[in-house]
Amino acid sequence: MVSTAEAPPAIATADTPILERLRPLMLPTAFAAGVLLAWQAVVFVFDYPKVILPAPSDIFAALTGNFAEIWQHTVPTIRDTLAGFVLAALFGVGFASLLSFSKLLRDAIYPLIVVIQLVPKIAWTPLFIVWVGIGWQSHLTIATFIGFFPIFIAMMAGLESTDRSLVRLCQGLTATPGRAFWLVRLPASMPYLFAGLKIAITLAVIGVIVAEFISASEGLGFLILKSAALLQTDVIFAAITVLCVLGLVFYGAVHAGEIAVRKWRGE
Amino acid sequence: MNANATLLAAAEVASSAPSPGYVAIDQVRKIYNAGTRHQVEAVAPTSFSVKAGEFVSLLGPSGCGKSTLLMMIAGLEAPTQGSISVAGRAMTSPRAETGIMFQDPTLLPWKSALDNVLFPFRAMNRPVEPEIVERASTLLDHVGLQGFHGHKPRQLSGGMRQRVAICRALVYEPDLLLMDEPFSALDAITRDEMNLVLMKMWEEHHRTAVFVTHSIREAVFLSDRVLVMSRRPGRIIEDVRIPFSRPRGLEIGETIEFNEICGHLRSKIEHRPH
Ligand SMILES: Nc1ncnc2c1ncn2[C@@H]1O[C@H](COP(=O)(O)OP(=O)(O)O)[C@@H](O)[C@H]1O
Ligand SMILES: [Mg+2]
Repeated sequence: MVSTAEAPPAIATADTPILERLRPLMLPTAFAAGVLLAWQAVVFVFDYPKVILPAPSDIFAALTGNFAEIWQHTVPTIRDTLAGFVLAALFGVGFASLLSFSKLLRDAIYPLIVVIQLVPKIAWTPLFIVWVGIGWQSHLTIATFIGFFPIFIAMMAGLESTDRSLVRLCQGLTATPGRAFWLVRLPASMPYLFAGLKIAITLAVIGVIVAEFISASEGLGFLILKSAALLQTDVIFAAITVLCVLGLVFYGAVHAGEIAVRKWRGE
Repeated sequence: MNANATLLAAAEVASSAPSPGYVAIDQVRKIYNAGTRHQVEAVAPTSFSVKAGEFVSLLGPSGCGKSTLLMMIAGLEAPTQGSISVAGRAMTSPRAETGIMFQDPTLLPWKSALDNVLFPFRAMNRPVEPEIVERASTLLDHVGLQGFHGHKPRQLSGGMRQRVAICRALVYEPDLLLMDEPFSALDAITRDEMNLVLMKMWEEHHRTAVFVTHSIREAVFLSDRVLVMSRRPGRIIEDVRIPFSRPRGLEIGETIEFNEICGHLRSKIEHRPH
């Protein structure tokens, strides 16, 4: 009769040699280790003052030596970023879904949002501080605001890209618009949504840090600014290291969600 | 279907008019983008009817308005003029008792074959009882998809996907089956296979069927009647009854009579009436 599944795509499989499989991970790790070593050597050889350029070993010492304080400032940054991101996702998905039900609303509002999103959103930060106060509220608001746009726009693109014949199929089956949305258009827009979520989580961190630069008494942004005033360059680098790890973990979590959804979609 | 047939009979008696047919197309015309520069007359005023249980093919060159006509019968496009009635009721919007097959299988990529077959129930928000699942499984087995119920569409070949689409169109037991060149994207061998599968399913379930195609042999093989459409704007220029008894096998394609009918249809298509 007919042949079964097509050949699997040429990606790493179980019988690829282990070295070959780890290559994408090992090469960058080795290169990063090389850079850190060179950095350490340069600082040692030219004897740069620690205030200008601390060596990786100094940064590590600052990280472990001040861990309690750094952690204390990490918690609010994580909290505001995640809360802002979740709100941005809810608003972005919700608003895009709403507009997808009404052509009138969509035509009236969508172009405006696309224009607003061209403006550098970080410039709005002081305004939010004036509006909602100097505390975590403004940090969370800016993270939500800045994360909303990529999610909204990706979700709109996803909903509009839904295969027209699938939509037709639903109409032919007398499905209500709500059911067609839930059964077809929402699942069909998932890959787009995740592209938006990945951008949004990165931007949400930036938003929170900038908000903490401007007005805060806690958070990694505040710690960086305070350490700069005290010329504690090694602590700045330690805080940046923590931010790198945070960024990786957040992005990785969204990516894991995407893989789970892809699996569910049978890809 | 029986209930509908009874209704129809009752309506006939009541009006004592000539039988309107199960599907009745009355002076239907379709103009896309009417009144604009991009105005296209896809279907010229056309009338015909399809009897209950009849398998009718619409045959014509591509772009002649076959899909447009079928989509109007499905209630997915509104006629610009004229009226369409199905089972005695005027068509204004899609009806839940019509099954549709498109040129592409249009399966949900993230659902298994079985879930795709069950999709109409979810779309219509009807409960999926165990016996419905049973019926869907049986249909899949009947079209030769034993062992593939859990496969996702991308793990199936083109022919297998279209088999899933046949099952999906039949599972809620529609009284009318509309098919828009469902096999035209398949290779010739798979296409013959699919014609046999469709024939078998139709002979078992005996729905009224309207089948759109631009393949003459496919139309003759499957149909009780073949309606030939002119070039755009399409209208019916020939109505040919196909006399072969059922069940039919592919071997009828070798008979002289079959090829004579095909030849006749071909001459009608190639002879441009304007
Ligand atoms: N939605 C549409 N808007 C405008 N023109 C259309 C639309 N759909 C089909 N047409 C035009 O109508 C004509 C008939 O199309 P169609 O019914 O798809 O033909 P067929 O199925 O016989 O190939 C074609 O010229 C096509 O370009
Ligand atoms: Mg067509």
